[in-house]
Amino acid sequence: MGSYIGMGQNDKQSRWGAYNGLGQNDKQSKWGHTLEWDKMISCQDGAIHWPGQNDKQSKWGHTLEWDKMISSCCGCCAALKPRYKRLVDNIFPVNPEDGLVKNNMDKLTFYALSAPEKLDRIGQYLAQRLSRDVQRHRYGMVVIAMDALDQLLVSCHDYSLNLFVESFLKMVQKLLECDDVELQILATSSFIKFANIEEVTPSYHRRYDFFISKFSSMCHSNNSDETCKARIRTAGLKGLQGVVRKTVSDDLQVNIWEAIHMDKIVPSLLYNMHDQGFVQVDLDNHRNEEAPAFVAETVFRDLVCRASFGNIKSVLKPVLVHIDNHQLWCQATLQFVVKCFKIIMFSVQQQYAYIVIQVLMTHLDSHVRSSPDIKSSIVDVLFECVLIAAGGSIGPSVLDVFNNLVRHLRISLDNKSTDVDKRTMEKKFEEAIISTIGEFANNLPDYQKIEIMMFIMAKFPQFTSEEEFGGKMDAQLQTMLLKTLLKVATKYKTVSMANAFPPEFLHPLLRMSLLDDPGMRIIVQQILHTLIDRNDNTPKFKHVVITKDISKLGLKLQKSARQDSLFMKKNGSEFYGCLLENMQMDSNKVDNFEALYCTMALICVEMGCTEILLELIRFALELQNIAINKLSLPLTHKCAIHALTSGFLNLLAQLAEVKSLATYVSGVIEIRRQEASHLLPDVAFNRANKPSSYPEVETLKDTWLFQQSQIAEILTELGHDVSRLSKPFTYRVFSSLLGGIDAEDSTLEKDEEERRRKEILQTFQTAPFEEIVARSESKSNHFHNKLNEILEMVSKHPDSPGSLRNTNKTTVPVFDIQFPELYVY
Amino acid sequence: MEDYKYLFKIVLIGDAGVGKTCLVRRFTQGLFPPGQAATIGVDFMIKTVEIDGERVKLQIWDTAGQEKFRSITQSYYRAANALILVYDVCSQATFDSLPQWISDIESFAKHKVLAYLVGNKIDQINSREVPSYIGKQWADRFEMRFLETSAKDAENVDILFYDIAMELTKDAREKDKLESDCTGFNISPNTKTINRCTACFKF
Ligand SMILES: Nc1nc2c(ncn2[C@@H]2O[C@H](COP(=O)(O)OP(=O)(O)OP(=O)(O)O)[C@@H](O)[C@H]2O)c(=O)[nH]1
Ligand SMILES: [Mg+2]
Repeated sequence: MGSYIGMGQNDKQSRWGAYNGLGQNDKQSKWGHTLEWDKMISCQDGAIHWPGQNDKQSKWGHTLEWDKMISSCCGCCAALKPRYKRLVDNIFPVNPEDGLVKNNMDKLTFYALSAPEKLDRIGQYLAQRLSRDVQRHRYGMVVIAMDALDQLLVSCHDYSLNLFVESFLKMVQKLLECDDVELQILATSSFIKFANIEEVTPSYHRRYDFFISKFSSMCHSNNSDETCKARIRTAGLKGLQGVVRKTVSDDLQVNIWEAIHMDKIVPSLLYNMHDQGFVQVDLDNHRNEEAPAFVAETVFRDLVCRASFGNIKSVLKPVLVHIDNHQLWCQATLQFVVKCFKIIMFSVQQQYAYIVIQVLMTHLDSHVRSSPDIKSSIVDVLFECVLIAAGGSIGPSVLDVFNNLVRHLRISLDNKSTDVDKRTMEKKFEEAIISTIGEFANNLPDYQKIEIMMFIMAKFPQFTSEEEFGGKMDAQLQTMLLKTLLKVATKYKTVSMANAFPPEFLHPLLRMSLLDDPGMRIIVQQILHTLIDRNDNTPKFKHVVITKDISKLGLKLQKSARQDSLFMKKNGSEFYGCLLENMQMDSNKVDNFEALYCTMALICVEMGCTEILLELIRFALELQNIAINKLSLPLTHKCAIHALTSGFLNLLAQLAEVKSLATYVSGVIEIRRQEASHLLPDVAFNRANKPSSYPEVETLKDTWLFQQSQIAEILTELGHDVSRLSKPFTYRVFSSLLGGIDAEDSTLEKDEEERRRKEILQTFQTAPFEEIVARSESKSNHFHNKLNEILEMVSKHPDSPGSLRNTNKTTVPVFDIQFPELYVY
Repeated sequence: MEDYKYLFKIVLIGDAGVGKTCLVRRFTQGLFPPGQAATIGVDFMIKTVEIDGERVKLQIWDTAGQEKFRSITQSYYRAANALILVYDVCSQATFDSLPQWISDIESFAKHKVLAYLVGNKIDQINSREVPSYIGKQWADRFEMRFLETSAKDAENVDILFYDIAMELTKDAREKDKLESDCTGFNISPNTKTINRCTACFKF
């Protein structure tokens, strides 16, 4: 049968050849005939039934006869047109408008399926025909050939398609090379169908360079016809998606993630995502999802979500280059950039989200000398990304990022512009950094937040080498760092005090509460507030007041937990010592006293004041002692401290529900109200005060003061052991500092005192560390390891706190062992 | 089935507005487009020419000169068999940016790519800013070929592209010869792949 068919075909071929140059009509008639003829033979599998096409029968009848005749005698005619060619020829209709001859296509498919080894040749032949049709501009036939190729691809994908695909791709390329838009679009849609086919044996030497180049070029079409432009661009975008789909999952294929490809693909997507030119057109267009901007976005998502660890950067790099090149960091287009990165963050595989952040960080580095508004924008985008990054996904580089952000903050402040407008932009940038750090911290587990805070504390300029090099430490930087710290602190949700204030954190924090600048000291107190306050009581303690009945304050009281009062028993003295030291700062403003009061009040509420009642009372009395004995303090400060003490005792007595004490306290307050109102908050904390608001002569009567003996009596009655109350108030850590501050001090000259204070501070700065070291040695905890990790990372950065090392010179070597850098103040 | 013997990729580069697109369209379509819009990204055109009786297909990638497209256009350099660097003889500025272009070629194109320096718009005799000999000197210094053209008057445009086609064909033939000399040793079952490689001009 094979040879018989071949014969017939051969006959036809010669005719085809002969008529090739002639008119279409002539050929058509032959075509029509052939179709019939073919149908007949294939249906009947050998048994021949002439379908009875009268008009053609006469013409072709003889052929049939002839075929029949020779079929018996040979299969030896080498020049016969092979069956596959005939089958291919038959799928073409007489009239291109009629489209693919469907049942002949079925035959061809059937043939290809039963003789897959012929697929390659079928492909080649189809391609050959198509190529010719393209040259002759017979586009109808081109469409049909492509249709056939598509169908064969889909039907035969179970077989090895390598060579067939080669032919197929050649055809797609051929069409893409045409000027004709329709052909280009047709080619693209074929390519997309192909891309969706999973080949059994994909070819590893197939190259897609042309397709990527051409599709990318189409994505930038500047066709004068808007609809046409949109169609070409959409086709290009989808073509790119096809290439990505086809290559991405297969290691043997071209590496689509190579820069040479990504540098074409990514900008093509972004350019269309950003090109709003089409939007208006599309609003009233229902097929909105065909709009380039929309398609580009889809393809972009698709691309990002396919990126694995090794190649997410290959996508990000051209994204950033595109944004830079097209100057999209400016305010007008920032929304678009944010959108891009949101898409990236939502599409990227979760475990790689941190890479996005890392890459943005690096990009910020590369813009370190750029204008502050660009830097702001980058940080804004970073902020958005951090918001999206889920808790665990920020990854191992967390401290790196912090480190970097703080470094940028520092660089910005070091290079402050004198130009007002520019400075405003710089400030915006600085604020953006702080917000971002805060947001970053928010995503971290709580223990890491503490680490981060320590990390930031370690960056304080006066603790770094910079000061040694003569640069006056930048107050603004300190303030910024403190704000950052505060931001992070507010994100921390305190559960137990011991966790919120591990010693390694508490000591430096308390140390920092003694900074020279009163404004900064307030921020440190605010940090303490947010960390201590678990019940949002802070607003109620904003001002020093004497509340007759504190139940009216609407305080939310913490169920006193044993562990918190235990914590206070261990660490209370440091808190008290630090508060006392703070009270004595000459530079204090009303705000400072108020902030200190708030801290004290919060300690009462949160730490279980009944448990530590005695200590708190001792503390209050010591406070009063300072106001009495530290003569060098301005009168205003003394009054404020007295007033603060009264407010505090009033609160404490009521909170601890010691009625007799409350009565005593309110008694003293009543006397003050009548005789010395300047010792009460209403006067002492009145911001409108003038010198005349205070008495001219400083006097203190015993009745105005809270008497230790009387308080002791009250407490003894209640069964407290008050033996300690009479002992001088010593605090474990600060004792060495404060021991000397007594009446004698008042005789000192002002600057002598200042010198001394500095000296004290110095001691203060080193003293706690013996303790830290002792503690850390006994209990080498997780923190430690983390710290080392931080330090390791930090030291990798040339202008980051690695430079802290320099400061070590001045310190006791023992600290080097445990906390080589963080604790060197 | 192949309707050409060789396929070459030619990439045009140069500052915005020097007339790259006009040169390509003059060559491929035989016209000087009035009000040619700036190219966005990369444009593509094809033209088959005959060299010594053989059909040679030229894939021409016309890049946008605008700075903002620089990174995408640069990604097209590497595949180029020939680069045409165009400046406008009536604009000193476009000539002054040649060093940047040269250094881009060095960083992104294939080593020893055939490079042509082209001064365009010579029809505007009165506004010429860059004399011929300066352009020539410059081209010599960087071992580029040199030609001055007018897309408007069709001057030297065909010559430019034909010269490139000829040179590339010559190279390709030599390469073919070399390879056919070697293939004797190379009886591998993987002939297909090898064919691919030797024919890397073709796809
Ligand atoms: N007089 C004259 N004008 C020309 C010639 N070639 C181009 N122009 C004009 O120069 C302007 C820019 O030409 P284009 O071909 O678009 O320039 P281009 O290099 O493609 O520019 P980009 O696509 O932006 O990189 C157009 O207004 C052209 O009409 C020329 O040979 N002579
Ligand atoms: Mg152009």
